[in-house]
Amino acid sequence: MLIIRRRRGESIVIGEDIEIEILETSPTQVKLGISAPKEVTVLRSEIRVTRDVNRAASSSDPNKLSQLVNQIRETESSPTALSPEESTVVLPDEKKSITP
Amino acid sequence: MPSISTKQFGIVQFVEEDVFEFPNGLPGFESEQRFLCIERPALRPVVFLQSIAQTDLCFITLPARSVDPGYELEVAAEERKVLGLAAAEAPVWDQSLACLAIVCLPTDGSPTANLLGPVVLSRETHKGVQAVRDDRRYSALTPLQSAASEQKPAVPSPVEKSQADRLAEV
Repeated sequence: MLIIRRRRGESIVIGEDIEIEILETSPTQVKLGISAPKEVTVLRSEIRVTRDVNRAASSSDPNKLSQLVNQIRETESSPTALSPEESTVVLPDEKKSITP
Repeated sequence: MPSISTKQFGIVQFVEEDVFEFPNGLPGFESEQRFLCIERPALRPVVFLQSIAQTDLCFITLPARSVDPGYELEVAAEERKVLGLAAAEAPVWDQSLACLAIVCLPTDGSPTANLLGPVVLSRETHKGVQAVRDDRRYSALTPLQSAASEQKPAVPSPVEKSQADRLAEV
C-alpha cells in the first residue's frame, strides 16, 4: 500500500483523470472531494460490501428457510413481526411453496 | 388489482398502497425500486422483500432486533430525506419505521444477516432505503447464532479488517 501524507487543501492524482482532494479533517473524520470520470464508480467501501452481500443474499437457499425460522424462534420467545400488519402483504400458509 | 407471478409465492395480488418505493434501489440492485413486504404467519418473524419488476428477486429479511435485540439504528441525513423524515429529527426508531436485516442463506455455510446496511422502511411514506452505516459497529455478515451454540443473543461480530483500512466518506 502506498502511504502519502497530505494536509487540508492538498490533493493526490490517480492516473490521468482522477483527483482526490482533502477538504476537511477532524480527529475522527476526513472529508474528501473526488473528481473522476463518470464511468468510474466511486463508493464508500461499506456500500461495496453491502452490494456484494446483497448479491449473495439474492441467491439464498429457500430450502434452509424453515431451519432459520426454528433457529430464530429458539432464541426469541415472542417473535416480533413487522407490525402493524397493514404494511405487509400477509399470504396464507396453505401454499407450501417455501417450506419443504 | 395488480398482481405479479413470483418464483417463491406464485401469484401475489397487491394494492398500490402495499408497495414500498426505493428511489435508489439497493446496492447491486439499483434498478429495483418497488418492493412488497410479504409475511407468512408460519415463518414469522421472517419478512420477504419481493421485487415487483424482477419477480424472481426476493430477499429474505429479519427484523434487525430479532438478530440483535440491542440493535441501534442510525440513519444518515441523506437517507432520512429519502424516507421523508425531518433532517434534524433525533429519534430514528419509532412506530413509523421498520428496520430489516437482509439474510444470506448459503446452501453450504452458516446463515448471516446484514446489520451494517439494514433496510429501513417508513410506514408513513412507504419509502424504503438500505441505510448503510459508516461506523464499524455492526457487520454485513453478522452470524445468526443458534440457541444451542450460544445462550445469549448474537453479539455483533467485528467488521472485516478491509473496511477498517478505508475510511472514506464521499
